[in-house]
Amino acid sequence: MANLGILSRFVGDAHIKVVNVDTEMSFAEVAEACKVHSVGLHVPNQPGKTLRVRRTTDDDSAQHFPATMKVKDANLRHLDCLDVYFV
Amino acid sequence: MAMLDRSEWYDLARSTNWSPRYVGESELFPEALADPYRLPEAAWAAYDEPYKVAYREYVQVQREKDAGVYSVKAALGRSKFYDQAGPEWMGILKLHYGAIPLTEYAACALQGQNARFGRAGSMRNMATFGMLDEMRHSQLQLYFPHELLSRDRQFDWAHEAHHTKNWLIIGGRHCFDDVMMTRDAVTNSIMTSLIFETAFTNLQMVGLAADAENVGDFTFANLITSVQSDEARHAQLGMPLVDMMTRHGKKAEAQRAVDISFWRLWRVFAVLTGIPMDYYIPLEKRHMSFKEFMHEWVIKQFDRQLTDLSLERPWYWQHFLDDIEVHHHIQQGGVWSYRPTMWWNPVAGVGPEERAWLDQKYPGWNASFGHYWDTIIDSLLAGREDLTQQKVFPPICNVCQIPIANRPGPPWKARAHQLDFEGRRYHFCTPVCQWIFECEPERYKRHESLVDMLVFGRFNPPTPDTVLKYMGIGVVSEGGRDSNGYQWIETYRGRHGHGPKGHVSPLADCALTPKGNKRLWVLSRFQGDGHVKTVEIDLDFSMDEFARYCAQFSIGHHAKDQPGKTLRVRRTTAKDDAAPFPREMRFGACEPRQMDSFDVYFADLSDRDREP
Repeated sequence: MANLGILSRFVGDAHIKVVNVDTEMSFAEVAEACKVHSVGLHVPNQPGKTLRVRRTTDDDSAQHFPATMKVKDANLRHLDCLDVYFV
Repeated sequence: MAMLDRSEWYDLARSTNWSPRYVGESELFPEALADPYRLPEAAWAAYDEPYKVAYREYVQVQREKDAGVYSVKAALGRSKFYDQAGPEWMGILKLHYGAIPLTEYAACALQGQNARFGRAGSMRNMATFGMLDEMRHSQLQLYFPHELLSRDRQFDWAHEAHHTKNWLIIGGRHCFDDVMMTRDAVTNSIMTSLIFETAFTNLQMVGLAADAENVGDFTFANLITSVQSDEARHAQLGMPLVDMMTRHGKKAEAQRAVDISFWRLWRVFAVLTGIPMDYYIPLEKRHMSFKEFMHEWVIKQFDRQLTDLSLERPWYWQHFLDDIEVHHHIQQGGVWSYRPTMWWNPVAGVGPEERAWLDQKYPGWNASFGHYWDTIIDSLLAGREDLTQQKVFPPICNVCQIPIANRPGPPWKARAHQLDFEGRRYHFCTPVCQWIFECEPERYKRHESLVDMLVFGRFNPPTPDTVLKYMGIGVVSEGGRDSNGYQWIETYRGRHGHGPKGHVSPLADCALTPKGNKRLWVLSRFQGDGHVKTVEIDLDFSMDEFARYCAQFSIGHHAKDQPGKTLRVRRTTAKDDAAPFPREMRFGACEPRQMDSFDVYFADLSDRDREP
């Protein structure tokens, strides 16, 4: 178990945010951790939709991480940038 | 004794030089401090400053200027202007005085370097006057806010800001350390005198001076106009140098100095000036939008200057034009969202009329930045001020030191540009800042932004309070809060359609209030309503009461009633297939969490018989 700082690029939010996550967290939990710092502050919620997480790429086309996958299994580095988006 | 006319002695005096006997030329003028481009002696001998002044004339003119500024101040000191000035204008003054006076003082060192290491006697002469100018500017701009200190302790930042590690101040200081304090006399004259003082001081000193007059602060208008009249003179220090470099095979180096400094200064001054011009100046007093001012006073002039100097527009010109539409708007959101970290009380400036003006000046504002503020407005209307306080930090660009952000809303433009260099990860706001870093990584690579420090474990304990104290908040004075205590939000209460989508406050027309002591904010997703609403629900409500409570915010507003049917409540799911809760069930019994989402929908009366 370890802390990892990631950059949260939350869909629709103007600000990227540094969010600390635990390597034991699932990506569903990572999404929730990022949501806290964007929804209600700079972007509205989208009830009925679920959140997904993927690596940030130039063309926004990376495959999302499975919701149950653990952060420690994703080979993430400190301050990697992740997209968090509704589907 | 009869005085000689200046023209009879000036050329001789300014070109008087000496030949060193005890040290070599390279020791007297080390390349790193004087001229790394090795411009030939003959070129330096021909350096010709465009604006000529003798010491006697200088003192006479400056004395008159000072007398003018101080007499206006004395005359207006008895007026009630500052008693009656709104929080918006006082915010501008605090921002200006915190950011500017000690930058002017730092510029004394820049001019001092030029006065010592400029290789032409005439350049040294001009820089000496520049040094005196900068001293006058810092003294004036410290004296004036000092008088305001008895009204508000936040004015203490005028003297203290540059001695703190406030993140906005670090952004400005990093920029000026780069373009003004840590380069050779040739490069810093191009970067600061040519680019900063001919282009960007106009923003602060001409744009704001006009606004100050409109608002009625003639003391401030007079002060900064007086300052700008000096800038216009010593700004000309850099022009002959670009010409010399172009003539002697160093055009690419001159172009690079121009490109780097223009971008760096733009990023800082868009925040310092763009935000006040487009958000803080009362709407009826605005004479120009920041964008109009940029095009009229900066771009036109800069373009003409580049042509005169045989230089090109910076390679990132389109990035720059795009940034004029976005950068200060999103930093305005950031400044307001991080208001406890600021040394003044930030102004939101997004009432309905202001938004209409912004959308007219910046077409598409409502469709992107409007979404951003809608969310804030909804949270405030719902009594959730806590949601509008940002609790984590954004990554900070490792060049401009400004939080990484971009246009909000559907375009979703926010992006951190990252570079792994010598085992460390660096973050940039734009490809331009990344380019600047890659031009000279040795110059920038060791600096740690405030967020780098957090990540590298430099704060102990790593809490927001530790960071605020590090920034000087609560040390110099308390941090910022909304400038008028959220009164502006009242213009939205009861309005139908404050945003681009006809969005309605969830509690806008609330006539009922929960009766119990234990309440919870949840989301009401009402059938047929395009907007999800935030509602505060009493945990003792039955599900029927929950439904009726939510109905008042949707039926008649955005959803039609369906007589003959009953309302049911279920949890929101991806497929809309959750079973409804029993109608008499106590709301608290479903173990709701803050901001959980619930569907409220119409069902046939017979549905009651099918309850689980």
